[in-house]
Amino acid sequence: MLTKGDKWLVMVLLSIALAGVGLHMYYIAANGQGQTVIITVNGQTVKTFPLRQGYVGEFRLGDDHGYNIIEYSGGRVRVREADCPDQICVNSGWISMSPQQIVCLPYRVVVKVVAGVPADVDDIAR
Amino acid sequence: MSKTKRLVLLALLVAMAATLHVIEGWLPVPMPVPGAKLGLANTISLVALVIFGWQDAVYIAITRVLLGSLFGGGLFGPAFIMSMGGALISIIIMTHVHNKRAGIFSLVGVSVAGAVAHNLAQVTMAAVIVYSPGLLWYAPYLVLFAVPTGLFTGLAVNYLFAKAPASYWFNIKNKDLQNK
Repeated sequence: MLTKGDKWLVMVLLSIALAGVGLHMYYIAANGQGQTVIITVNGQTVKTFPLRQGYVGEFRLGDDHGYNIIEYSGGRVRVREADCPDQICVNSGWISMSPQQIVCLPYRVVVKVVAGVPADVDDIAR
Repeated sequence: MSKTKRLVLLALLVAMAATLHVIEGWLPVPMPVPGAKLGLANTISLVALVIFGWQDAVYIAITRVLLGSLFGGGLFGPAFIMSMGGALISIIIMTHVHNKRAGIFSLVGVSVAGAVAHNLAQVTMAAVIVYSPGLLWYAPYLVLFAVPTGLFTGLAVNYLFAKAPASYWFNIKNKDLQNK
């Protein structure tokens, strides 16, 4: 049923995808442990905090129309709870390495880990 | 094919596509790729493309996404925009592959190309919606998932046309239906 063209297409697409995944893995490994979490809503940064052992807490985003509860502990961060319909953000689980990110598309929330110390030191004290 | 027969067939395809669209949203995908879907509704787009041509496939896709979002929730939300954009772009790519490269690729190849185009379009739209270009890192993982799902849906459509070729749909007589 499969023509030669089909097999080539599948092989080429899989190779490109594997190369992309490999590049992503390499990028994560090269960047090492991420140190800062940036939370953005609609492209606007709403919260920046450092990610390290012993820094535990949670951050609630949203209002009556929808919420995301972001939890951080032990150098990792996740969306613990949200009332969005697809729950993709919750199912994404914990992230801790640099280019990783969690997206809640319905509420346009992005939680991303970046390398480097947060510029806003006051945010830690708050 | 008479006008009435065409209308009935189109309506049936829309009903099947909308049902698959809704049911697919309920299925938990057992994969570590959040947001990935099987693309079952895409099989109907492919069937419509082969039987009726791309214009009717586009009509069916638009109606399917509208009805599916109405039943499943999230009408005109980000999920709706992504479903619509993904479905239309995948039909454009599938039409091109099916019409211009028919000798090289079978329906399985057409389906794989459509599934990959669907996922790439969706991840690009998602990156624009949340203003986060870093989301494009997710594309290779989605392509890795889209190739097997595209193979699966393409084989399903292949089996359908093996049992009931495109000409069958145009030649259904009233007596055939009465004999069944």
